[in-house]
Amino acid sequence: MNPSFKFLLAVLIALEISFTSTWIVNLALAVIGLLLILTSRPTFKRLILLFFVPLIPASALAVAILLQSNAGVHFALVLFTRIYAYVFVGSAATLTTTVSDLVMSLEQNTHIPSKFAYGFLGAFNLLPKIVSEVNIIRAAGNMRGQALHVWSPQLYFKAILASLDWSENLAEAMTSHGFSEEAPRTYFKQIRVRWWDWLVLLGSLVLLQVALFGFHLQ
Amino acid sequence: MKYSNAWHLRDIILLTLIAIFFGVIYWIVGPVYNLLTVALTPVGLGPAANDILMGIWVMAGPLSGYIFKKVGSATLGEFLGSVVEMFLGGQWGASTMISGIVQGIASELGFTFTGYKRYDWFSLNLSVLTTTIVTFGWDMIRNGYAKYNIGLLIALFVIRLISTWIFAGVLTKAIVKLLDRTHLMQTQAR
Repeated sequence: MNPSFKFLLAVLIALEISFTSTWIVNLALAVIGLLLILTSRPTFKRLILLFFVPLIPASALAVAILLQSNAGVHFALVLFTRIYAYVFVGSAATLTTTVSDLVMSLEQNTHIPSKFAYGFLGAFNLLPKIVSEVNIIRAAGNMRGQALHVWSPQLYFKAILASLDWSENLAEAMTSHGFSEEAPRTYFKQIRVRWWDWLVLLGSLVLLQVALFGFHLQ
Repeated sequence: MKYSNAWHLRDIILLTLIAIFFGVIYWIVGPVYNLLTVALTPVGLGPAANDILMGIWVMAGPLSGYIFKKVGSATLGEFLGSVVEMFLGGQWGASTMISGIVQGIASELGFTFTGYKRYDWFSLNLSVLTTTIVTFGWDMIRNGYAKYNIGLLIALFVIRLISTWIFAGVLTKAIVKLLDRTHLMQTQAR
């Protein structure tokens, strides 16, 4: 499925189930999400994490409803399954798409300006450097007997200074390789929107409405 | 000095890099959130973990708003932070983006209400207030906060307000102050 469509669908589903309280639909969405995740052949460790990590916020919300409100077991169940639906539907989109495919699709199919697409992509590829930079900043602080925590302004300050430096370099490098902000581009890897992308997107949404409405009437 | 509203390649890269730094930090905070939630769940206060840590999650918004001083920069900064967290393997998948947008617009409102003309302690505090109110409203729907008894609801709101004020207010101000002293970027009010 087209990456932009896939993410749009995942977000729309998550948005819609935020406003509805039908636990069966939530559960069904979680199961569908799980099946899609399984097709991407995740590692066993990731699968275990996918099951157990949502358990924490899900049970927290459910227990809080049971102890701190009069909303009852049904609503607790709705919230519990809602968290699982969020996580599984959301992960079904992220685990089956690469960053560059999504960005390319956003540029070619939804026509966001290419400076945003390539600017984001260029910066995103610095991710490993950034993770190590955070470690370097903290290590440098430790050497001076200065522990840097999430609440230390110095940590963010140094991170922003590094970002300033790199953004300047990267933008210059891209410009010197011929990147021009306004110029039209041709694409090496073309990502198209096919008729079945529309079918899956609209079909899923219609099915969701029917299911929600059907269970709502009961 | 007049700020242009156009985004250039360098701004976009800088914004993404800052968002990535925050995305990495959010990702590090994830386990803390889980531990705190586990600790608070038996007494039915698990959701409070969300409110206690809220400030850290919404920092990228006001900071980007302050650094770039463009319409939409706070929203974009916060949103990109959530996208990065999503691809780092944050626990929420694509649903992270919804929180990112809600939080981004929430903190953007503070600057919108001052017509993008004031970038000072006042607009920062306004941004803290709009962030708290809007994100809380969203949690009332999404996480079922609306059903809690009124005492808990007020307590959660106050916790969130304090957390947001400390991180998105006081800490952001401290960071901007450090940046001002370098004269590397125009962070002062125009």
